[in-house]
Amino acid sequence: MSLSRYAAQRLAFGLVQVLAVVTVVFLLVQALPGDAAVALAGDNPDPRRIEEIRQAMGLDRPAPERFLGWLWGLAHLDFGVSLFSGRPVADFLADGLGPTAVLAVLTLVLLVPLSVLVGVLAALREGGVLDRVLTSISVGLHAIPEFALAVVLIALFGVRLRWLPPTAVGTGGDLLAHPAVLVLPLVVLLARPICSISRLVRAGMIDALASDHVRHVRRLGISTGRIRFAHALPNALAPAVQQVARTTDWLLGGVIVVEAVFVIPGLGTGLVDAVASRDLPVVQGLAVVFAVTTVLVNLLADLAAFRLAPRSAGIA
Amino acid sequence: MRAFGRVGVGGLLIAVPLALALVGPWFVPDTLTRGAPFMPDHLLGTDFVGRDVWHQVLAGGRTVVLVALLATVGAYVVGVPWGVLAAMSRLRLVDEVLMRPLDLLLAVPSLLVLILVASIAGQGVLVLVGIVTLVNFPDVARISRAAALEIAGRPALEAMRLQRESWWRTSIVYTGRSMFRTVAADLGVRLTGALYLVASASFLGVGVPPDAADWAVMVDRNRGGLFLQPWAVVVPAVLIVALSIGLNLVFDRALRARSEVRP
Repeated sequence: MSLSRYAAQRLAFGLVQVLAVVTVVFLLVQALPGDAAVALAGDNPDPRRIEEIRQAMGLDRPAPERFLGWLWGLAHLDFGVSLFSGRPVADFLADGLGPTAVLAVLTLVLLVPLSVLVGVLAALREGGVLDRVLTSISVGLHAIPEFALAVVLIALFGVRLRWLPPTAVGTGGDLLAHPAVLVLPLVVLLARPICSISRLVRAGMIDALASDHVRHVRRLGISTGRIRFAHALPNALAPAVQQVARTTDWLLGGVIVVEAVFVIPGLGTGLVDAVASRDLPVVQGLAVVFAVTTVLVNLLADLAAFRLAPRSAGIA
Repeated sequence: MRAFGRVGVGGLLIAVPLALALVGPWFVPDTLTRGAPFMPDHLLGTDFVGRDVWHQVLAGGRTVVLVALLATVGAYVVGVPWGVLAAMSRLRLVDEVLMRPLDLLLAVPSLLVLILVASIAGQGVLVLVGIVTLVNFPDVARISRAAALEIAGRPALEAMRLQRESWWRTSIVYTGRSMFRTVAADLGVRLTGALYLVASASFLGVGVPPDAADWAVMVDRNRGGLFLQPWAVVVPAVLIVALSIGLNLVFDRALRARSEVRP
């Protein structure tokens, strides 16, 4: 199968995924308990007032009609209006996108070099003390709940030692202007993916160093450094690169938790708040953004994997 | 000796939180002590509504551990038959109908699914078990399907069929036994994954009442007093961290020991 044909096929499947996810999000949000109109009417709900609100928000229209209207809006990047503040959902997205994007992008940028470094260090000392320590740490920290790790780190570095600010309160969402605020959130976000990816790099590097072609290069008398980094490392990287995309799932989930712990006003905080207050349009909008991002990243990863190793990726 | 040390560390890390979680609730006195919030009296001080933190720690592990265990069992109970059915069906359509929706579920961040579903389904331990099962079973189904497909192609199975062995013996006894190791090798990942989801969801206030005696809820609710009375936050957080790290170390050790015995 050629790359363009595979891309077309994969793109079609991605589109179906996005559509299905959007539908599921709509259905789920429709099923949220508690009528938003009742919630809006206040402590002493007057039936007439509830009816008015319901009409104003279009909740009296049948669900399929609302769904089509919502889809039509999504296609134009019109996410609707918040039930409570009346602000367009797009504004919520624009506000929250900055801090969340800073966190996600910095994590991804740091993730690759750090995991390669850890993986290579462990592989070069295979079986040694350094390898055993690094491997134990990466095994132990795998799938550790971010909030628990974060709180322990905050208590230690933020409260006890006072080296770093314990939360992002007071930065107003402008994280880049306060780099010290970013340290703990990034450490927490990186902990999980680094563990899984550095282990892949380590395994790949050990395999590559023992492979025939590296043995051949060694016989040619090429320097050890060149062998390691120009000949062995590229071969070790292929599986790790694929895994990077697979960790977006964790990363997006982790961002929601990390924003909650460090009080960062990003998309994740917006989602948790909106779910708590039953602000349906905001929940729908944010959920769609999260889901579509995951689908897109996985699509890109599959295309990249196909480009690198067409045979193994051809099944998807 | 070194091997023992590794199991020892992991085992110890599991043992303390697990013992607290399972036995702890019996040692909580019936009479609730109430004092001022975030005071340093009692063993570990008081929490955000003035309850004794030590009593909360004793009572709060059971839900986390129980939900994680039940959800892992649930994921296998649903996922293994699902995957085997998809692999063994003669019709390609059945396979597609069973497996395609799972691709969809895997395409959405699991914490997002959890937050959305939990806000609909309401609160309760069983609801949380159900949702974590829902999020976790697609992976089990995929692994089971792959394992069953590999076994279905083996010459041994073909030979059994030619010898007219009964369907029960070929499909259930032989396939089941051969699949067991592949699927069990995945157990550690499933269990820590379930623990992760349960704890994170409870922390975000999803699926549990806001004043529940639950380690993750304690971490969330007592954060406001981190400067006044850190024990109320740090002790439950450290217990969750220890349990997670311990499970990882022990399962990794077990996996490696087994692959060394049977290469």
